[in-house]
Amino acid sequence: MATDINAPVDNSDPPAASGYPGGGYAVSTDNSSRRKLYSRLFYLLCVLISGLSVVVLGVLLVSIGWQGHSRLTWDLLQNSHSELNPESSGMWPSIIGSVFICGICAASALPLGIGTAIFLEEFKPASKPLRMLHSFIQLNISNLAGVPSIVYGLLGLSLFVFMFNVFGRIQVNESSGTELFGVSHYYQVLSLAGGGHTVLIPQEDESQKTIKIDEPTQAVSRDGETFELAIWDPASGQPKPSDPEVRKRTVRKGQGGGAYSETEWYYLRLPFGKSFLAAGLTLSLVILPIVIIASQEALRGVAPSLREASFGLGSTKWQTVRHVSLPAAMPGIMTGAILAMGRAIGEAAPILVVLGAAVAKNSGPQNLMDNVVTMPVLIFNWAGRQQAAYQELAAAAIIVLLAVLLLMNSAAIYLRQKMRVG
Amino acid sequence: MKFSSFAFSCLIALAVVSTGCDKSSSNTEPGADSSAPAAESNLVGTIKVDGSSTVQPISNAIREGFIKEHPNVDIIVSGNGTGNGFKSFYDKGTDISDASRPIKGGEFEQCKENGVEFVELPVAYDGLTIVVNPQNDWVKELTVDQLKSMFVGDDAVKNWSDVDPSWPEEAIQIYSPGTGSGTYDYFHEVLAKKSKKELRGDMNLNEDDNILVKGVSDNKFAIGFFGVAYYEENKDKLRAVPVVNPKDEVAYEPTTENIASNKYAPFSRPLFIYVNTDSLNRAEVQTFVEYFVANTPEVSEKVGYVRLPEAVMAKAQANLDAVKTGTHFVDESGESRSGALTDLFVEENLVK
Repeated sequence: MATDINAPVDNSDPPAASGYPGGGYAVSTDNSSRRKLYSRLFYLLCVLISGLSVVVLGVLLVSIGWQGHSRLTWDLLQNSHSELNPESSGMWPSIIGSVFICGICAASALPLGIGTAIFLEEFKPASKPLRMLHSFIQLNISNLAGVPSIVYGLLGLSLFVFMFNVFGRIQVNESSGTELFGVSHYYQVLSLAGGGHTVLIPQEDESQKTIKIDEPTQAVSRDGETFELAIWDPASGQPKPSDPEVRKRTVRKGQGGGAYSETEWYYLRLPFGKSFLAAGLTLSLVILPIVIIASQEALRGVAPSLREASFGLGSTKWQTVRHVSLPAAMPGIMTGAILAMGRAIGEAAPILVVLGAAVAKNSGPQNLMDNVVTMPVLIFNWAGRQQAAYQELAAAAIIVLLAVLLLMNSAAIYLRQKMRVG
Repeated sequence: MKFSSFAFSCLIALAVVSTGCDKSSSNTEPGADSSAPAAESNLVGTIKVDGSSTVQPISNAIREGFIKEHPNVDIIVSGNGTGNGFKSFYDKGTDISDASRPIKGGEFEQCKENGVEFVELPVAYDGLTIVVNPQNDWVKELTVDQLKSMFVGDDAVKNWSDVDPSWPEEAIQIYSPGTGSGTYDYFHEVLAKKSKKELRGDMNLNEDDNILVKGVSDNKFAIGFFGVAYYEENKDKLRAVPVVNPKDEVAYEPTTENIASNKYAPFSRPLFIYVNTDSLNRAEVQTFVEYFVANTPEVSEKVGYVRLPEAVMAKAQANLDAVKTGTHFVDESGESRSGALTDLFVEENLVK
């Protein structure tokens, strides 16, 4: 493309350079050589500016690559954050965390965003009050696209994390909000076996958060079978049971225990609390305006003649959208979606607000209400530490983040290509 | 596996990645198991920790050792700052609050109001280091009064020569941690609390300590302050200034020994954890806090802090065993006490 622009300039160059400013050419005006010079200078300026952005990117990649290449190991991909051994720290849980959050984000933002765009572009109302509502929504969306993401973080905090306290508050030792399903309540009591061995006792009254064992009760083992929990009273003078198996089923008289909630992966409660579900939904708010605007642009780009032809054949509005506009606009919509997801995976500010700044976690989320670590938050934490090892790890983690982003983008581009062919 | 079924139902589009995730979660767990002691632990539960980002590395490191022994306990250690940490602590959002300063009167009041009782446990010392550029050959030591003249109030001196006439007539460039950090609070408390003034407003503030290190190491006429751990990592680029102890008029370097023996005064500060006593009923929290107190001397040294004297640790252990609630650092009228940890952390000062 660049050479195309260049070609005509080059052709007309010799007269200007040869010192005859238009004198020998009847068609040329006096300032033609100057105009051509400006044109050439402008072209050079454009090359310079576009070159500059490439150079900045190049410098960034080289410096990060230089700093982080020694840490790009399997350790980085497989391990989790370690405070005691920075050398073997890794980012596996954060990769999973980011992917999960982006999954939630895509699943909620894309259908909503594309749907809104279809409504705004394809179903333009005729009556005046509705038209005003329509343009009001339009105006709001354009404004929302420019709102800083930290504001969305605060919105997500009250909307998803606390849900305005409508469903109760999540407080340690007191309340877990309104639990819908996927949870069973127990008391956890230390047994005589020591070393952190405990027994679980089913909770009958959920408001009673602690228990004191004074008489034998029913307990459940971790395999789910019920057994009779024995009591050992040190004051009675009986010797402490010596058999390890008996000890595991015996507790000291008067031993206290606290509440423990066993959760399945589909555990759901309201409000969501500091969970990856809340984080994903918050990010979907961040990218929603981008998705809507990009989808609108794509739908606007579909030739009106296509729609008119469809209407002419007798299709309804819905049939036209479903079979004509949407397929034709899909590549553009996908491009918008890719850009939006790229932004979502790199956001740190709303995640910090919603999830907090925890970085030490050894696995991905265990249930829908679980906390996760994400790549941007981990990089933010590592980059702020004093040890050189973490600085290098941060650089390496940036490379991994870029690689994941690239991977996601290429998958989306591949999908887009497929759709275009179809 | 529970986890894989979750992955598949959640993320159809990213199936490739989630299969990889199965592989790794089974990768990390045996590693944790192999180093666990013979008696297997089936302790379960979730422990929520938030607070000072200075204490976060200690809590993270303790967590790391703890889950090797008790792999099924989930511990979330967040580092949103001491003040934010106390806020979620008295709102019953956390079981344990990390703090780089003792609890303040207002926070203590809120705890009482919300019915949150806690055990106060010091876990390590952090020395606040005052650093200058290595090319700075005129500052040999600083007194607290000199520091006050440099840092306190908007009428603070502008040039080095204003502090001492023999020093160069160049502007003092100050690099300081951000106002939200416990380090800034602590520095402010030591220098300006009594005179009820603020630190000067024209300092270069930054939350990222690496930027402070760079600022001071690039500028001959700069001075800055931050935690001793940062200085230890950047000894080649900076010089720590000995500070004159107001009690014996001798200047001490911020070395491990001087901090532990309280000679490096008034710039060594204790770090704390505050444990909700209701949470102590839960087996997982109880086991974790006991592990914390038992292991914090070694672990905090490993992550760059200074261990507490044994007497203080023994007192902390005793307070935990007896579940003695309340703080030693706020008096009956709600005013913060000031003084050395060893003097304040005694039975008589405990206020419920």
